[in-house]
Amino acid sequence: MRHTDVAVIGAGVLGCFAARALSALNLHITVLEQREDVCTGVTRANTGIIYSGYDNHPGSLKARLCARANASFDRLCEELDIRFSRCGSLMVAFGPHAEAVLEQKLENGLASGVAGLRIVEGDELFALEPNLSHAATRGLFAPGTGVVNPWELGIAAYENAAANGVEFRFCERLLRMERSEGGFLLETEQEVYRAKIVINCAGLSADAVREMLCLPTVRIFPTGADYLVLDDTVQGFFQHVIFHEPEEKGKGLTLVPTVDGNLLVGPTERGRDLAPDGATAASGLRWLTELCAKVAPSLPLSEQIRSFSALRPNPRTVREEGGVWVPEDRSINDFTLYQDNGLISLLGIKTPGLTCAAELGRLCAEFTAETLGFPGNNPRFHPNRRGVRRLHGMDEAQRAALVREDPNYGDILCVCRDVSRGEILEAIRRGAVTLDGVKRRTGAGMGRCQGARCLSDVLELLARAQRIPPEAVTLDGEGSPVLGAKYGTC
Amino acid sequence: MEHVDFLVIGGGAAGLSAALGAAEAGRSVLLCERGTLLGGILNQCLHEGFGRALFGEDLTGPEFAARLIPALQNSSAQVLTQTSVLSLSPDQTALLSGRAGLRRIRFDRCILAAGCREKTFASLGIAGTRPAGIFTAGTAQKLVNLGGHSVGDRILILGSGDIGQIMARHFVESGRAVVALLEQADHVGGMARNRRECLEAYRIPVLLRTTVDEILGTGRIRGVTARNLDTGRRWEISCDTLVTALGLLPDQTLCRSLLVKGQLPSWLRLSGNCESVHDIVDSVVREAYALGAASW
Ligand SMILES: Cc1cc2nc3c(=O)[nH]c(=O)nc-3n(C[C@H](O)[C@H](O)[C@H](O)COP(=O)(O)OP(=O)(O)OC[C@H]3O[C@@H](n4cnc5c(N)ncnc54)[C@H](O)[C@@H]3O)c2cc1C
Ligand SMILES: Cc1cc2nc3c(=O)[nH]c(=O)nc-3n(C[C@H](O)[C@H](O)[C@H](O)COP(=O)(O)OP(=O)(O)OC[C@H]3O[C@@H](n4cnc5c(N)ncnc54)[C@H](O)[C@@H]3O)c2cc1C
Repeated sequence: MRHTDVAVIGAGVLGCFAARALSALNLHITVLEQREDVCTGVTRANTGIIYSGYDNHPGSLKARLCARANASFDRLCEELDIRFSRCGSLMVAFGPHAEAVLEQKLENGLASGVAGLRIVEGDELFALEPNLSHAATRGLFAPGTGVVNPWELGIAAYENAAANGVEFRFCERLLRMERSEGGFLLETEQEVYRAKIVINCAGLSADAVREMLCLPTVRIFPTGADYLVLDDTVQGFFQHVIFHEPEEKGKGLTLVPTVDGNLLVGPTERGRDLAPDGATAASGLRWLTELCAKVAPSLPLSEQIRSFSALRPNPRTVREEGGVWVPEDRSINDFTLYQDNGLISLLGIKTPGLTCAAELGRLCAEFTAETLGFPGNNPRFHPNRRGVRRLHGMDEAQRAALVREDPNYGDILCVCRDVSRGEILEAIRRGAVTLDGVKRRTGAGMGRCQGARCLSDVLELLARAQRIPPEAVTLDGEGSPVLGAKYGTC
Repeated sequence: MEHVDFLVIGGGAAGLSAALGAAEAGRSVLLCERGTLLGGILNQCLHEGFGRALFGEDLTGPEFAARLIPALQNSSAQVLTQTSVLSLSPDQTALLSGRAGLRRIRFDRCILAAGCREKTFASLGIAGTRPAGIFTAGTAQKLVNLGGHSVGDRILILGSGDIGQIMARHFVESGRAVVALLEQADHVGGMARNRRECLEAYRIPVLLRTTVDEILGTGRIRGVTARNLDTGRRWEISCDTLVTALGLLPDQTLCRSLLVKGQLPSWLRLSGNCESVHDIVDSVVREAYALGAASW
């Protein structure tokens, strides 16, 4: 049996930031993650927007956390050494219904203290975004909106927490949990842990984890989402995040100039049943291209390099009716945090969960300190972490210096993204064990050839570093071997 | 800053020949190749069919490359492998990156012979999961022929590009099953020779007017939903690997920022598959050599 003060369940962006915030305290912290790496769940596929906070009902937990998170995001990204583009956003209307929504959001934003919000129209609107359909009538400009790469954010928090002494245990799935001697016993396939506090950040399974101890009150009812990614050849097409507020009922389109220089198009909002988990729905992809034609008619959709899907962890209140748990019709609009005697659950944290991850982490640490009594500060704690050094975007002198230091940085393996052998080796040293793990840390394989040219190199490097045969290397964890069985063995 | 008359980017058939042409015309030449080997795509083409026009012989890709490389090495041209050209600037300089360091070269003329890349499955916007086991034919060829790996056991091929057909033959010869080759057009693409020698000779089932509607399987691909474009019929085909041969696109990324009204600067020319996709290497060699030797 292993003893720990705090057990965090799940290493998505929320678990990683909870761990990072907790690592400031003088406590032993263990994170249990069922997968082989961090950020493989909801955090893997989302829009990456750092919201300014006008979407949320003033006074709600979301509104409070979001405004605070947005205001301190530059500092956070400096501490964690990650890319952050505060590009601003334009929410655009194409008629009176949507214009009224914009007014409402403006009011919300002003009440929540969102800075710099204003309505733009006419020439100013098209000067901001010349490629926007000229049928647009009005826009809500929010200069504070920004964009991150969600993997980079989560991985940075993970690395920082680990450097501060948090113990991350991968491939350990929590199976059972019970209360014992004023604390908790947690059982995974490999181990039993005794913890004083449990922080449940299990994403789509956070309800199931909470129900290991409690009766249900909120359950997660996922819906699906689809995205398209356009090549960095369209860089500059839009300068701001574009939120299209539809005139009709239903969801509008979001267009995001990413920190990697791509344009992200999406997400749809659709039933989970329209496609298997992890799959895009044909109807969703069609819907995206149709809306693009309306919002940005000159957008070259031929530059599409990928599509992907996501699941939204929608929380809904449930009540018992004749022995079954029946959900309310509508999903809960705010963040739901449950405290059950030393177990804190972050349940169904969807947008803007990424934006608020550090704030939610801080709440978890505050709760822990209140429950256990202040344990003192961790003498090893340091808020700063250094990222994988990226050649792309570096100036010539910096780049030359890096190659002098390590020749591997001179050897470019991913042509599309300008990623060197040095960066890939560094990503592997920092914990990448799959092709996707390397991609999430370096961008290798994310460009227009989608890994066609670097796959064999990255595969060899992963095999060699882990001392496994190439046949054992996976794309994305168990059950996803990249290669077939060796020649001669079939 | 170091200066050369000719900078040649790419060490495939085109780059090797252009560099030789320029060197034999008495110019100072620098050739940069990103990979460890000279020869480019030829290195992974272990099938025969190269050099019929130029040498009157049926050579494999590496054998063909071996005919080109010594001539260049014996010439005055400077050759750098594991060296990528990162960018070309309007002031006629190039930024080079290699294990030996980063450096800038000044040149009078540049020949871009960066080859081509393959159109990917991901760019088609087809719905479904994103599992392991989906390869472009060229990547499969590289993994199999250069890495000595296997890509899978039950292989479905989408598209009838030449590399896909050549790989179909290879899969059958090495004891793998090719479930089918799907092609959306009403005829098989590529060269007639490949259709005869790779598809017909090995009885590869070819389904015309057929495409993939959806990818199935989590983790590793387990099949696709196919659709007939005329009848609309949809059905499942099971496979553990999908290899795509959807066509080649000249890789002109390096010169994109140099275009002025769609025109290349006068000091820059494209050669080989980087200029347009060539089926036959012999013509690549002839054209590239002439381009290197000419004055322009
Ligand atoms: C479509 C979409 C778009 C979004 N866009 C934005 C946006 O633009 N901006 C923004 O701020 N927010 C956005 N969000 C919200 C944000 O992505 C989420 O709030 C955030 O990623 C949630 O992170 P998480 O850590 O809770 O979940 P996850 O990343 O899913 O992490 C949960 C982890 O728990 C692990 N786990 C589960 N069960 C167990 C168990 N029993 N034992 C061990 N481990 C377990 C899982 O493997 C997983 O790694 C978006 C969300 C969605 C769905
Ligand atoms: C699979 C396949 C099978 C074929 N089969 C036959 C056949 O049977 N018979 C026949 O006659 N012809 C065949 N061909 C056609 C012929 O082989 C090709 O057209 C020819 O080899 C292309 O040569 P290339 O130099 O243009 O391109 P490549 O061989 O692709 O060379 C381009 C080189 O440029 C390098 N490079 C790219 N960018 C940079 C950069 N920025 N810096 C440094 N280096 C860079 C690349 O690493 C690469 O080595 C085949 C082609 C293919 C693809």
